[in-house]
Amino acid sequence: MGKKRERSDIVLDMLVAIQEKGGMIKPTHLMYKANLAHQQMKTYLDDLISKEFIKKMKKRNYDYLIITDKGSRFVEKMRQMKEFEKTFGL
Amino acid sequence: MISLAYTPAWFNGKDIIIDLFSILILGLISFYGFMYYRLNRRNKNYIFLAAAFLLMALSFIFKILINFTIYYHVIETKNIGLFTLTYHTVQVSHILFIIGFLLYRVLMLLGLFTLYAIYARPKLATMILMVFLLLVTTYLTTSSYYVFHFTSFLFLLILALHYWKTYRRGRYYSNKLLAWSFGLITLSQIFFVFITLENWFYVGGEFIQLLGYLMLLITFIKVLKDGKKARKK
Repeated sequence: MGKKRERSDIVLDMLVAIQEKGGMIKPTHLMYKANLAHQQMKTYLDDLISKEFIKKMKKRNYDYLIITDKGSRFVEKMRQMKEFEKTFGL
Repeated sequence: MISLAYTPAWFNGKDIIIDLFSILILGLISFYGFMYYRLNRRNKNYIFLAAAFLLMALSFIFKILINFTIYYHVIETKNIGLFTLTYHTVQVSHILFIIGFLLYRVLMLLGLFTLYAIYARPKLATMILMVFLLLVTTYLTTSSYYVFHFTSFLFLLILALHYWKTYRRGRYYSNKLLAWSFGLITLSQIFFVFITLENWFYVGGEFIQLLGYLMLLITFIKVLKDGKKARKK
C-alpha cells in the first residue's frame, strides 16, 4: 500500500493538475486527477479559494477552476521545497 | 585597530571575506529551511536543519570577531619620590578574544551536532549527554583547539559519508554535490589542525573551506533551479 499523502502533497497535486490542463480545469476533472473524494475535494477547494491560489469562473454554462499567479508561485515554492527535502534528506 | 591571528601578512583580512561568504551561504540555507518549515510544519527536520545552519553561521560571526582586539585608554598614576606622575597608556583587552573563541567553537559544534542528530536520531538522553560532552571538551580541555577541529572533522566526515550514501542509493545529482561540499569542508578541518606548525596551513584550510561553501551554494542554486524546471515540464 502506498504512503498516505500529506496535506501539502494533496494541495500540490491539485494545483499541478490545474497547471497541466493549461491553468483551467472543470471541478469534476480535478477531483479525478487529484484522486480525491467529493467531500475532501470541497474542503481543499474552499481553502485554496480563500488563500487566492485558485478562483472560480463560468464559461459556456460550465464551472471552471483557474490557477492564479499566487497559486503558480506557490507551486514553484513547493517544488523547490521538495527538491530541498530530497537533497538534504529531510 | 585590528590584530589578526594565524594569518600570514598578505592574507590579512582575506580570511574574513571567506568567513563572511560562508556566513552568507549558511544564512541563506537557514532562511530557506525556516521558510519551508512554515510551509510544512509537520516535518520538524526543516526547523532542525535551519537551526543547525543558523548556529554555524553565528559561530563564524564570532570567528570574525576574534580577529579584532579591543584597545582601551587607561590613566595611570605613579609616585616617584615627592612627585606624582599621571599618564595615559593603551592596554589590550583579551576578553573579546576569549569569549569569541569559546562561542565560535561551542556554536559550531552545536550546529554540526544538530545536523548530525537529524539523520542519526539519537534519544533525548544521548543528546543531553552529547551536548554536555561537547561543552566540556570545548571549555575544559587543555588542547581544546585540536579537540575542536578533530570533533568538527568527525561530525563533518559522518555527514559527508551520509550524503554520499544517499547519493549512491538514489543517484540524485544534488546529493552528490552536497556530499562533495561537505567532503571539502571536512578536508579543511585537517588543514586547520596543523596551523601551529606552519601558518600556510591556515591559508590552505581557508581556501578549501571557500571551495566547500562555494559548492554548497551551487547545490542550493541547483535545488532552486530544479524546482523551477519541474514547473515547466
